[in-house]
Amino acid sequence: MEEILKRALFRADEAEVYREDFENATVSFQSNRLKSIDNSFGQGTGLRIIKNGKIGFSSTTNLQDADFLVTSAIESSKFGQPAFFKLPATSKIPQVRCFDGNISLISTEQMIGEGKRAIDAILKEFPSFQCEAEIDKTIAKTSILNSSGLKVSYEKTFYSFSIYAFLAEEGDFLGIGETQSACQYKDASKVVARKVLEKIRLARRRAAINRGVYPVIFTPKAMPVILSLLKRGINGKFIQKKVSPLFSKLNTQVSSSMVNIVDDATFHYGKASRPVDGEGVPSRQNVIIEQGVLKNFVYDLQTAGLMGTQTTANAAREYDSLPSPSTTNFIVREGELSLAEMVKDIKEGLIIDQVIGAGQSNVLMGEFSVNLDLGFKVEQGKIKGRIKNAMATANIYELLKNVVGIGKEAEFVGSTFTPPFYFARINIAT
Amino acid sequence: MKSYFFSCLDKIKAEYAEIRYEENVATYLRWIGKELETIGISREKGGGIRVKGKSGWSFLSFNNLDNLPSYLTLAARQSLLPQNGAVKLARVTPVTKIIPGNFKIDPRQIDLEEKHKLCLSYNQILLSGPEVQTSDLRYVDLRTVKYFVNSEGTYIQQERFYTLLGMTSITRRGSNIQSAHEGVGGVGGYELVENQEEKAEKAVKRATLLLDAEPATGGRYTVVVDPELSGVFAHEAFGHLSEADFLFENERLLNIMKPGRGFGSEILNIVDEPPIPGEGGFYLYDDEGVAASKTYLIKEGKLVGRLHSRETAAKLGERPTGNARAINYEYPPIVRMSNTYIEKGEKTKEEIISNIKDGIYARGFRGGQTNLEMFTFAPEEGYLINNGKITRRIRDFNLTGNIFTTLSRIDAVGNDLILFTGPGGCGKDGQSPLPVSTGGPHLRIKELVVGGR
Repeated sequence: MEEILKRALFRADEAEVYREDFENATVSFQSNRLKSIDNSFGQGTGLRIIKNGKIGFSSTTNLQDADFLVTSAIESSKFGQPAFFKLPATSKIPQVRCFDGNISLISTEQMIGEGKRAIDAILKEFPSFQCEAEIDKTIAKTSILNSSGLKVSYEKTFYSFSIYAFLAEEGDFLGIGETQSACQYKDASKVVARKVLEKIRLARRRAAINRGVYPVIFTPKAMPVILSLLKRGINGKFIQKKVSPLFSKLNTQVSSSMVNIVDDATFHYGKASRPVDGEGVPSRQNVIIEQGVLKNFVYDLQTAGLMGTQTTANAAREYDSLPSPSTTNFIVREGELSLAEMVKDIKEGLIIDQVIGAGQSNVLMGEFSVNLDLGFKVEQGKIKGRIKNAMATANIYELLKNVVGIGKEAEFVGSTFTPPFYFARINIAT
Repeated sequence: MKSYFFSCLDKIKAEYAEIRYEENVATYLRWIGKELETIGISREKGGGIRVKGKSGWSFLSFNNLDNLPSYLTLAARQSLLPQNGAVKLARVTPVTKIIPGNFKIDPRQIDLEEKHKLCLSYNQILLSGPEVQTSDLRYVDLRTVKYFVNSEGTYIQQERFYTLLGMTSITRRGSNIQSAHEGVGGVGGYELVENQEEKAEKAVKRATLLLDAEPATGGRYTVVVDPELSGVFAHEAFGHLSEADFLFENERLLNIMKPGRGFGSEILNIVDEPPIPGEGGFYLYDDEGVAASKTYLIKEGKLVGRLHSRETAAKLGERPTGNARAINYEYPPIVRMSNTYIEKGEKTKEEIISNIKDGIYARGFRGGQTNLEMFTFAPEEGYLINNGKITRRIRDFNLTGNIFTTLSRIDAVGNDLILFTGPGGCGKDGQSPLPVSTGGPHLRIKELVVGGR
């Protein structure tokens, strides 16, 4: 890496080398049985330079390719965007736990055992289902070196368990997926199997719903339908381009005052936890929404520079791309209601757990229109059964202003930590 | 390369083993609005090996070719861990092939300055409108050389040029933000992205007109879809369910998907066909070294075929269709579509619309998804149809249906089949985006559920 930096600086004013190395092992089950044991061993290096005030970039999977990297990065800088930042020097880096030494010790046999136990638990109660499962462990190392003297590297581990139980009957398919993942090792087979079983039991009964407007509960698993659009809305890139509905809304009320959200890469063992961002800027906690008031957008160096503000340490990065702002661990604060209390409060409404078609409507405005892959009807405070062939449509900014209550039990769904939400109304078409 | 790969394969003990290796060089540019967000050149080399045991597989991907012998040994050992059930492969005659890429103009012969200049001129068009807020323009040219070698003696070396241009215009009026997209390109060279000014203008015009559209009202409608959306319908509403890996070990689903089952009326024919030059899903040999061929999925309304890998074909005793694909060396080949389309019928667009009292004309494409029973497909824009005439413009709605009932509600098929390559692609099992084309003629679908306000 030092060699690449040195060579780049012969021809560029500033330079940064970003390197990733990773090892992954995956055990996968198909049709209820162990089917494949997979590995990947990967590495890649990206070179970002600034020459005559303009940004250039190149990447390769081969560290010996220094000449190619430097020549290509210099060539592309002739047309590159003017740089609105200086590469950062080393500063105080927070202690963030994102590495668990136990993960490298987990054997393939152990991973196989976890998958088998979860599938056996599901088949014991529902033998006609077919299960797929994937148990996955990764150890990755990220290193960043730049011409301002920054030299930082950190290791990260990752362990994930996902399962999908599927039953095809004439006129009635049912598929339920659950995933648990974190930087820390945990045998999730029991939790995941229990969740799948609970949902199969509820879905075995059917219920009908007419076209109309109803109160709705989004489970944590369904919340990314809403939160992924909000993440777009607060992304500095969309703010800078003025194509976010939130671009002029800083320090104004954008949601119910019950809503509190922080973005926090320093959270221990979250999926997106890390000591520094993709440009080597120390991670920190950023308040996004406080009591319904929008407090911050998320930026990387260049986007912040264009907006005349400071980076929020939200540069997302892979070795083969320039940085771009993105959220890290997106933490939505819990409320006070239990799921049971929410259900009890509804005379006629629904629960949404899985959808198809998310992110395919007018995402810029925060619109979504999704088919209820797994949704339940609630009548007189009780879950009646599964609803099918229905479409739910809403605008997330309107939904977030009409929050009836927020759940008190939050969980990680990918890098999003969220409780269930209870909203006043959603449009249903059937 | 060839003799090195074969010598490595000879050294391990396995029922079956294969090596895929790729060398990729890409140039890419992306503007959002006036800013050139990304410009860069990348070089990527990597491989994927698969070793088959009696009951399962081991797949391993890597960047460092020097370690190939030790990787093969690890994969061979791990392939023995699955111990229940049997994995067999359909028989394929070993071949040796060297296939050059298709192109008129080699993108490597065009210097970066010229690519930059061309894209900049399109971006200027995309930004030229009083209500245009920003643009999103992506250009990429990718040259791939893929090697495929297996323990049965097959050696295939394929070169591929893939050149894409995606152009989006984004307009804003107060809090109303709209966008329209045009994509061109596919398997081919620089010629695919030249002379596209008209498309850029179209994107601006549509994004601007969408500002005047009204939000759609949800409910059940007779919907006419244009060729672009018709293709997404073919892909989501039937294509995925034809992928044999979903059902080859699922007795219940096999009973539901019996050959000969009626899905639609006799005017409906759905096809998957990789060897169409220029299309996004073009290839001659798949990633298991099987020759690609045209497969009818639905003929005259009835289920007649499905898409196979060697494993699914062997299990069901059917012909391997050459549909095992991997997005790149980091992933194993799985059953995928290529160029999927609905064959043309006899009606003109006007005839299809003329006898609709109340309905929706939906066109363009923002995305689609299926869970093998239900599907969604999102248009870019729509119009109300009243008394056989296209009237008011509507926006921001999504269409949904049930595969087992909706196909039978197609009662008119147009005479105007067109295929489209998107700059996106298809996603399955974490492998996305896979280049595919989709297409069809205008279709009339009764009682489709429209999600809206």
